[in-house]
Amino acid sequence: MPLVEVENVCRTYRMGRADVPVLRGVSMTVDKGECVAVLGASGSGKSTLLHLIGGLDRPDRPDRARMKIPKTPAIRFGGSDITAYSTRKLDEYRGRDVGFVFQFYHLLPELTILENVLLGAMILHGPGFVAQAGQHRARAEELLTAFGLGHRLKHRPSQLSGGERQRTAIARSLINQPALLLADEPTGNLDEQTGAKILDAMMELRARTSQTMIVVTHDPHTAERADRIVRLKDGLVIPA
Amino acid sequence: MYQFLLTRKYLTSKLMPLLASVAVLLCTAMVLVIWSVMGGFLDMLVRSGRTMTGDVIIAWPNAGFGHYEDLIQRLEADELVDAAAPVIESFALIGLPDGRQETVMLRGVDGPSYARVTAYKDIVWWKKLDRPLPKDKDLLDPRNRDLKGLKWDTLYAQGLSLTANDPATGLPMAAVVPGIEVSGFNDRTAQGFYNPVLVNKRLPNGEYETVDLFMPARGTITINTIPLDSRGTAVETVSRVLPVANEFMSGLFDLDNRLVLVRLDMAQEMLKLQKSDKVIDDPTTPDGYKVVGENPARVTHVLIRGKGDLGKFGAAIPLKRRVESIYEQFAEAHRGEVPGVVPIIILTWEDQNRTMIGAVRKETALVLSLFSLVSLVAVILVLTIFWAMISDKTRDIGIMRALGAGRAGIAWVWLMYGLAIGTVGTSLGVATAWVIVTNINPIHEWMGDAMGLTIWSPEVYYFVTIPNQVDPTHAAVVAIAGVLSCFVGAFIPAVRAANMRPVDALRFE
Repeated sequence: MPLVEVENVCRTYRMGRADVPVLRGVSMTVDKGECVAVLGASGSGKSTLLHLIGGLDRPDRPDRARMKIPKTPAIRFGGSDITAYSTRKLDEYRGRDVGFVFQFYHLLPELTILENVLLGAMILHGPGFVAQAGQHRARAEELLTAFGLGHRLKHRPSQLSGGERQRTAIARSLINQPALLLADEPTGNLDEQTGAKILDAMMELRARTSQTMIVVTHDPHTAERADRIVRLKDGLVIPA
Repeated sequence: MYQFLLTRKYLTSKLMPLLASVAVLLCTAMVLVIWSVMGGFLDMLVRSGRTMTGDVIIAWPNAGFGHYEDLIQRLEADELVDAAAPVIESFALIGLPDGRQETVMLRGVDGPSYARVTAYKDIVWWKKLDRPLPKDKDLLDPRNRDLKGLKWDTLYAQGLSLTANDPATGLPMAAVVPGIEVSGFNDRTAQGFYNPVLVNKRLPNGEYETVDLFMPARGTITINTIPLDSRGTAVETVSRVLPVANEFMSGLFDLDNRLVLVRLDMAQEMLKLQKSDKVIDDPTTPDGYKVVGENPARVTHVLIRGKGDLGKFGAAIPLKRRVESIYEQFAEAHRGEVPGVVPIIILTWEDQNRTMIGAVRKETALVLSLFSLVSLVAVILVLTIFWAMISDKTRDIGIMRALGAGRAGIAWVWLMYGLAIGTVGTSLGVATAWVIVTNINPIHEWMGDAMGLTIWSPEVYYFVTIPNQVDPTHAAVVAIAGVLSCFVGAFIPAVRAANMRPVDALRFE
C-alpha cells in the first residue's frame, strides 16, 4: 500500500471576484521510502499540492455535476484520509508524521538554530517535552552535527549563510522522525553550488534512512535526482 | 512549552513590547501612589479624628453643663467605657512674646483624665526621645541633647499636668500647652523635628530684643477670653499671662496651629464656668441679692474612650447608643439643671469628622477611577503593539502551524507574552510606587526647596506629613489588575493569530 495516495484533488482560490482553479483533479501516489519530485512551471499548482498533502490546506469539495468528476477527492496517508481529519488531528499529523522544508527556510529569527530544531519537539510533546528534554536535545544536536552545524548551535539564523539555514531547516523537519518529508523548492533560494550541496545532503539522508520524500521543484536537474517525477501543468498531472 | 521559550525570547529581543512594559509600569505606579497617598490620608484622618477627641463626645457648647463629675462616674462604671474626661472649649485671643495676636481655640482639660481618653501623652512634644527620629541621622533634634538648666522629664511632667513654675515666684501655677505651630517660634526640619528659632521679643518699653526663646523654658502667652452669661451676652474680657509648660504636636496642622490647652480649672475661671453661688434678687439685703444655693462647675464637653479598637467605620455606634442611654438617666437625675437627652449633642468621632471623611472618601474614589481609566491606555497599547507584532510575525505563526502547533497553542504564545509584559511592568511599577511613596516627604521638601513647589500645603491638606505607607493589599490589587489588563489587551491579537490559516500565513509578504 502506498504511504501517500492523492485522489482527484482540486483546489480553487478566490482572487477578488474571480475563482482561480489551481489544481483541477490531481491524483498521484508515493510509496514508502520513495523520493518523488513534483515538477512544473511557476503557477502549475505544485506548492499547493504539497500544502494539501502536508495538511496545511484542505482540498475543495467539488460539485460533481459542475466539475464532472466522478470521484470524491481524498488524500490518504498510511490509509487514513486526512481530508476528513479535524483541525486538531491535522495539527497532530503535521507535527508527528510530516516534516516541511521551505524555499525561504522560515527559521524563527529570535531562536538559536538549536532552539529552532527543538521547536518541533516542543510543539509535539507539549509539557511532556520537559521530561525528555535531554533526549530531544541530544537528537537535535546529532541532526545539526550530521548537517555540519555542530559548532554553530548557539548561533542565530542571521549569523548563518543561506545553505546553513536550509540545512538547519532540514534538521528541524526531521526532529520528530516524520514518516514523510515535504520539501518545497528547497534549493530555490540558493546558488547552484550551494543548492547542489543541499540536494546531496537530502539524498544522502534518504540513502541512509530510506526517508520518504516529496520534493517540489521547477528545476529539471533537481527533479532528476528523485526516483520518479510527477509533472504538473495547469493544475493537472501530465501522464508519463 | 514553546510558549515559554518564545515569550522569553520576545521579551528580551523586542523594543516595542518593552515600551509597553514601561507604560504598564507607569500606570501601575501612578495608581498605587495615588491610592497610597489618598488612602493613607483617609487613614490618618480617621486616626487623628480620635487622637484628640476620643471615640464619643458629649457637647453643650458655650453655656456648658454642670454635675459632669456625676456623669463621668456613671460613664466609667459602664462596661463599654474605658475612660471619660471633662473638657471646656472656647475661642480665645492670645498675645505672643513678639507682640502678635492670634485667634485660637482654647481647650481646658484635666491632664490625667484627658491623657486616658486621648493620645495626649504621646503628642506632648518636648520630652527626651527613647530613640532618634528615623531620618535624624546626625542627631540634630534638640531632644537628643541635654537642656541648660532644665530637665526633659520636668518639661514632660509639666506638659502632662499643664502646670509650670511662676517665673516670678517659682511656685507652680496653671500653664498653657499650645500646639507647636501656634507661636511660630519653631522651625520644622525636613527630618521631622523642630528647632526653636530666635524671636524678636517685645519689651515693655515697646522696643524689641532678639532672644533665643525656647517657649517651654522662658515663654509666656497672654490669653484673653470673653465669657458669656446665661443669656449669651458677653460679661467681661478676662486676661491671664500664663507660662508655657510644653507644646504638643498631633500631626493635624489645624490643631497644631490653633489649639491651646490650659488646665480645666483655669478655663473654668476665665470663662466663668466655675462653681458659684446661686443668687436671687433681694432688695432687703445690703447687696441686693440673696444666696439660695450653689451653681455647680460646668464643662462644655465630655470626651469618652470606649474599650477595644473602635477605629473602624461604624465601630463606635454601639458606644454612642450606650452613652445616650447613660446621659438620659443622668439628665433625669438632674432634671432642670442639665440639658435633656434631646438637645444635648452626642457624636462619635466619625460624626464629628463626617464631612471631611466623606469628602476625602469621595475624592479618593473619584481620583482612583480617573487614573484607572487612564490606565486603560496600557490595555490599548498592548493591543496595538501586539497587533502590529502579529503582522510582523505572520510567517513565524505559519511555520509554527506547519510544525504542528494548534490554534490554542498559538493564542497562548501571545497571551503568555501579554502576561509576561504585565508581570514585568506591574512588578516594576509596584517597586517604583513603593520607592516614591516611602520617600514622598523628602521628595516634596526637595521640590519645595529646589523649585519652590509646595503641592501638599499643610494648611490645605490638614496634615503635616504626606502619608508614606504602601498597603500590601492595595499593591496586590493594582498588580493583579495590571496583569489582567495586559492579558485583555493581548486577547484580541491572540485570537487573530490563532485564526490565521497556515498556508496564508506562510505566503504572507
